[in-house]
Amino acid sequence: MKRITAPVISNRSLMPETYLLEVDAPPIAAEARPGQFCMVHCGEGYFLRRPLSIHRAADGLAFWLRVVGRGSAALAGLHPGDKVDIIGPLGNGYSVRPGARSLLLVAGGMGAAPLAFLARKALREERSVTLVIGGRTRTQIYPVEMLPAGLHVVVVTEDGSQGEKGLLTDFLPGLVRNADQIFSCGPVAMYRAMRQIVVDRPVQVSMEAWMGCGMGACYACTTLTRQGPKQVCRDGPVFDIQDILWDEI
Amino acid sequence: MDLSLELFPRHPKGLRLKNPIIAASGTFGYGNEYADMVDATRLGAIVCKGTTLEPRPGNPQPRLLETPSGLLNSIGLQNIGVGAVIRDKAPLWATWPVPVIVNIAGETVDEFGELARRLDGVPGVAAIEVNISCPNVQRGAQEFGADPEQAALVARAVRDATSLPVIVKLTPNVGDIVAVARAVAGSGADALTLTNTLRGMAIDTKRKRPVLGGITGGLSGPALKPVAVAMVYSVYKAVDVPLIGCGGIYTASDALEFLMAGARAVEIGSASILNPDAAVRVIDGLGQWLIEQRVTAVTEIVGIAQGEDRSGVAFYEHH
Repeated sequence: MKRITAPVISNRSLMPETYLLEVDAPPIAAEARPGQFCMVHCGEGYFLRRPLSIHRAADGLAFWLRVVGRGSAALAGLHPGDKVDIIGPLGNGYSVRPGARSLLLVAGGMGAAPLAFLARKALREERSVTLVIGGRTRTQIYPVEMLPAGLHVVVVTEDGSQGEKGLLTDFLPGLVRNADQIFSCGPVAMYRAMRQIVVDRPVQVSMEAWMGCGMGACYACTTLTRQGPKQVCRDGPVFDIQDILWDEI
Repeated sequence: MDLSLELFPRHPKGLRLKNPIIAASGTFGYGNEYADMVDATRLGAIVCKGTTLEPRPGNPQPRLLETPSGLLNSIGLQNIGVGAVIRDKAPLWATWPVPVIVNIAGETVDEFGELARRLDGVPGVAAIEVNISCPNVQRGAQEFGADPEQAALVARAVRDATSLPVIVKLTPNVGDIVAVARAVAGSGADALTLTNTLRGMAIDTKRKRPVLGGITGGLSGPALKPVAVAMVYSVYKAVDVPLIGCGGIYTASDALEFLMAGARAVEIGSASILNPDAAVRVIDGLGQWLIEQRVTAVTEIVGIAQGEDRSGVAFYEHH
C-alpha cells in the first residue's frame, strides 16, 4: 500500500460517460493484483476519496470509470499532466488456484474493468479464459477490440444491439460447465441470479460499496457474511459467493 | 516550543499528552488500520471506535456520503463489543507510546455504567470518552445529550464506575449547550469534547427515498466547524474542566481556531478518512506556527480569543 501523487498520462472517453484514466504510479502498479482497487482523491473541495478498481497495471496504472456523481465527474475532467493523489493497491483481489486451467469471468457493465486485468494475467499464465460481458445496450459494453488476444469473449445485451440478446445470466448455464473457477464483478442483482445458476463451481465476486477510508478504519462499507460483518475495503472487495448473506444485505 | 499539556488537571492521575492532537472516535478504527500510511504514535492520543456492551453489526448500506463541505454518516455504531476490545485490542495498546481512550456508547444509563466498570483498570486503556449522542431507549430514543439531566445521569454513572479519567462528548443537537456542559462538568466529567456530529439527512431524488440506510445521519467535516467553534467559545467560561474541540479540523489553522476559542486539545475526525496522515500534518503545522509566532507553549493560546482586549488586531486590518 502506497500513497502517490501521480501525474495523469491520459484520460479519454471510451463510451458515453465512461473514461479510461491512466496515471504514472509505478510503486502502486508494481504491487497491484487483479481485483484490488485504489482510493483516489478528487481534488480541492472533495472530502471523500473515490474507490476505483484497477483496470491495468502495466504501462501506467489505469482505471476505467463511469461518471455517476460529483467525484467521478471531477476525475473525468482530469487532463494529461494534472496530478492526482492515489492510495493503493487496496483490498484482497481475486485468488486463482494454481491448478485452475479454465477460468470464466462474468462482467456486468463496468465490471469488465477489473476482470480485463485478471484476464490478461491469466492468459500470461497460459490458462484458458472466457469473459462474458453483459449490459443493457452496446454503449455499456467494454470495447472488445481493447481486450487481449487469445481471450474468448461473449457479449450479451438486453436490447440485442451487440452480441447475444438477453440477460447475461441466460447464457451462463452453457458456459459454467467447462470452468474450473468463476470470477465476477457486477451488480448485486446479477450475483443473486448467478447463485441460482452456478451451484457446483467456486465463484468469487467483487462487492461494490460506498467507502470512506479504504483501509478498514471507518466501517462505512460493511457487508454481512457468514463469518460476521466484514469490511468490503479491507476484507474484500472479493468474497466467495457462498459467504455473503444475500438475503440480508 | 512546547506542544505538551495536561488533559485532566482535575483527575488524581491526570494524563499528559505530548501534543494536543487526538484522533477522533470512529475515524481511526482501533488505532492500527492506517499503520502503512501514518505513524500514529506521533499523536497526542487516539480515541477508538465507539464501543458497546455487545458487538453491533451497524446500519444498512449506504452509510457514508459526501455533502457540500462535509460528510454525512450513519455507521450505526458497528463495533466488536467491549469484551473483544479488552481481550484483543487493549493488550496491544498497552505496548504503544500513545495513550488510547475508549469511546463508549449505551442505550441506558446502566449500560454506560457497566461499560465503564468493565474498562476500569484494563492496561492499555488511558481514559474513557462517553458518547451521549446515542438514543436513550427508555426516553423515546431522544439523545441522552439533548437533556442536561439525562446527560448528567450518564456522566455520574460512568464517574462512579471507574477510576479512569472521564471525557464526555457532547452533542450539538441541543438547544442550550452551556446548560448540558454545566450539568455534565458538575457530575464528575474530567473534560468535555465539543462536539459530536450534527443530525442531518439527504434524499435520493431519483429513488424518492432517503439516501442513507439509517435514514438520518451525522454531519461532520468543514460544514460543522463554525458550529463547533461557537460551542467551544460559549462553554469555555461556563465550566472549569478542559474542552476538546472537534468538528471539521483539517489544518493547523482550523485547530488554532478551536484552541483560541478555548479548547485545550482537539480531535481530528473526517480529515483522517480523506488523508490518514491529516492529524500528523496538523501537529507539524501547529509546531511550525508556534515557532513562527514565538509562542513557547501551546497552552498559552488556549482561550486567547475570549479576551476583551483587541490589541492583537493590527491597526490596518480594520481598513
